[in-house]
Amino acid sequence: MTPAPAEPALRAADLTKSYGSLVALEPLDLTVPAGQRLVLLGHNGSGKTTFIKMAAGLLEPTSGTVWVEGERAGSLDARSLLSYVPDEPVLYDDLSVLEHIEFTCRLHDCEDWEDRAARLLEELGLSSRAEDLPSRFSRGMRQKTSIVLALVRPFAVLIVDEPFVGLDPPGREAFVNLMEEAAEGGATVVVATHQLDYAATADRCVALRDGAVVYDGAPGKVELPSLIG
Amino acid sequence: MSEVDVMEALYHAYVAAIVGGLALWWIALRVGGHEVARASVHSALVHGPEMVGLAIAAALAIGLRSGGRGGPLVVEAPDVRLVLLSPLDRGVALRGPALRLLRFGAAWGAGAGAVVGVLASRRLGGHWPVWGVSGALVGALVVDAALGAAMVVSGLRLRRQMAGALALVALAWSGVDLALARATSPMSLLGQAAFWPLRWSPSGLGGVAFAVLAVVLGVVLAGGTSVEASERRASLAGQLRFAVTLRDLRSVILLRRQLAQESPRERPWLGAHRSPRHRSGRRFVLWRRGWQGLLRFPLTRLVRLVLLGAAAGAAGVGTWRGTTPLVLAAGLALYVAGLDVIEPVAESVDRPTLLDAYPLERGSVLVGLLAAPAAAMLAVGIVGAATAVAIAGGGTKALAVAAVLVIPASMAGLAGATVSTVQGPPALFSDSDLLLPPEAVGAKVAIRTLWPPLVATAGMLPLLAARSTPALPASSAVSATIPVLLLVGGVAIWARHREAIHRAFKEAMGGAGTKA
Repeated sequence: MTPAPAEPALRAADLTKSYGSLVALEPLDLTVPAGQRLVLLGHNGSGKTTFIKMAAGLLEPTSGTVWVEGERAGSLDARSLLSYVPDEPVLYDDLSVLEHIEFTCRLHDCEDWEDRAARLLEELGLSSRAEDLPSRFSRGMRQKTSIVLALVRPFAVLIVDEPFVGLDPPGREAFVNLMEEAAEGGATVVVATHQLDYAATADRCVALRDGAVVYDGAPGKVELPSLIG
Repeated sequence: MSEVDVMEALYHAYVAAIVGGLALWWIALRVGGHEVARASVHSALVHGPEMVGLAIAAALAIGLRSGGRGGPLVVEAPDVRLVLLSPLDRGVALRGPALRLLRFGAAWGAGAGAVVGVLASRRLGGHWPVWGVSGALVGALVVDAALGAAMVVSGLRLRRQMAGALALVALAWSGVDLALARATSPMSLLGQAAFWPLRWSPSGLGGVAFAVLAVVLGVVLAGGTSVEASERRASLAGQLRFAVTLRDLRSVILLRRQLAQESPRERPWLGAHRSPRHRSGRRFVLWRRGWQGLLRFPLTRLVRLVLLGAAAGAAGVGTWRGTTPLVLAAGLALYVAGLDVIEPVAESVDRPTLLDAYPLERGSVLVGLLAAPAAAMLAVGIVGAATAVAIAGGGTKALAVAAVLVIPASMAGLAGATVSTVQGPPALFSDSDLLLPPEAVGAKVAIRTLWPPLVATAGMLPLLAARSTPALPASSAVSATIPVLLLVGGVAIWARHREAIHRAFKEAMGGAGTKA
């Protein structure tokens, strides 16, 4: 897709997050090279979403910094580089699926997005509902809409939080294929999930427990269930 | 559920008496305005009952529509599961909540009616205590008749369309009465009762009987209310109370819309099937997104905007004619209209996950999104101006003042709504509040709450300026427009740079936290 940048796709240095006395994330140092497929594992409350939100610029660190290809997370340049699928779909009540796509693409100044949008809608089974309001969709269809919005615009880093919740098997398969396609195109893909079968296919696995990294390595070298037990 | 707590009832009456009494006292002392000429009193007697009847029909229509959606009763969620699903007669179970609601409605209706009555006494003459008592009686009957009608509709489980049709019949009947200057509808008859301090008309008793009948039927039929509607309302009403407690106006608006089942249209009024192909780039994207939201407004919201514009215009005429406090009513009507048209901005403020993912500063997105609501708000302002000119009976002077007022009044209404929407709900625990004494925190909360409606009301200042110089009203209004537009511009600049200001402040304080 694009030549590999000199900077890593994601870099977190001495990153922490606390809510009063509650430590959500211990000091974290993490470097994700461009093009890597990384899976974040950990039980509920382990700090996965906290890290992802700080990388997406939605949460300010208590200390430390996250960079996206050398740009500080949350900056305008970082927002152009990073695409994020939240764990809970966040969509406007008063825009149709197609209007969401158009609004997103035009804000990101994309060109020739119509064909890509049509293909994504087709693959995720939303073509016939493109003119409808997602506010009236089921949880799974809203999740699919959220996925389309993340994938329809150009990005260097894709961060996905619990992507498979609410998806039917064909939707799950389609999304896995689309993430694979993005990685083959040179994008970095970071996925937080509890799905161990998906984690086993990643290049690298980082497991968190109580806000601290307890494993960082290839998924094949560890008993994966032990990481979320 | 069905028990009537006498002490609680007395407490409500006590609170209502204090609030109503204070309001009466304040208004009686403060209201400017002089008694109108005898001809005007005659005109009020000829058209007044039918005009009041139309307002009563509007209240009744609101009640009927609420009934069509399962209102107006709100039962606690555990009561729905444990009591309404038990073998207990639902009529008995719901009688208590129905009576409580009617008592509450009567207390507030009486308070509002008494205030209006005292206001009327200042303009139409007569003894203000008599007007006050008469207004309180009619106010209580109107609110309870509307609640009773709603209970009848929900108790009989009439469909929403049927409830809407009944509401239209009530409005049309009262409209015809007004056009023909004849009181034939129960609403117009009740309107006659409102004028008893000026002229006793026995037919007004017919209106009173109608209201009492609606209340009695409502209580008797309330047991038929659907459990599905009760459960939905129980959940939403609980959240609504919580949002009110937190002074979270945006959540209150959203929950109220859910209670009223007021959702965006599935298809926009215009441009449903236009292909987005060949439209790219950021030019006009925020303008277009704003219109996409506005064009999905449901019919009820559009009608409400027209009515709010008309109400602002009518209140403006009242202000012009000497009832100065009506300037607040005009400002509030425009503020509420602003809160409706600002929906595309509010949708973005509600979703920081989306807003902060765009490669544009949050402030520039919000200000860009204000363009379409500003155009819509101008339309509301034009409705208000047209209404004012119609009520004032035309004339160059009225036309000129109304035309000057359109921009400042409508833009200030939007500016007030912008402040409210962009500032969001007050933080439960703010670091800066810890440094302030409790009195200062209280003042801060009061200013935060009152500032948006005050900004909206400031848009009516050109009207007061025009009134104070009868020889050259339009030029005075134009002069007074300048500070209003400066205020509106200041709000836009604040919305654009608010994040940067907060960030700089936070960095200066050395803090960190979530993005607001």
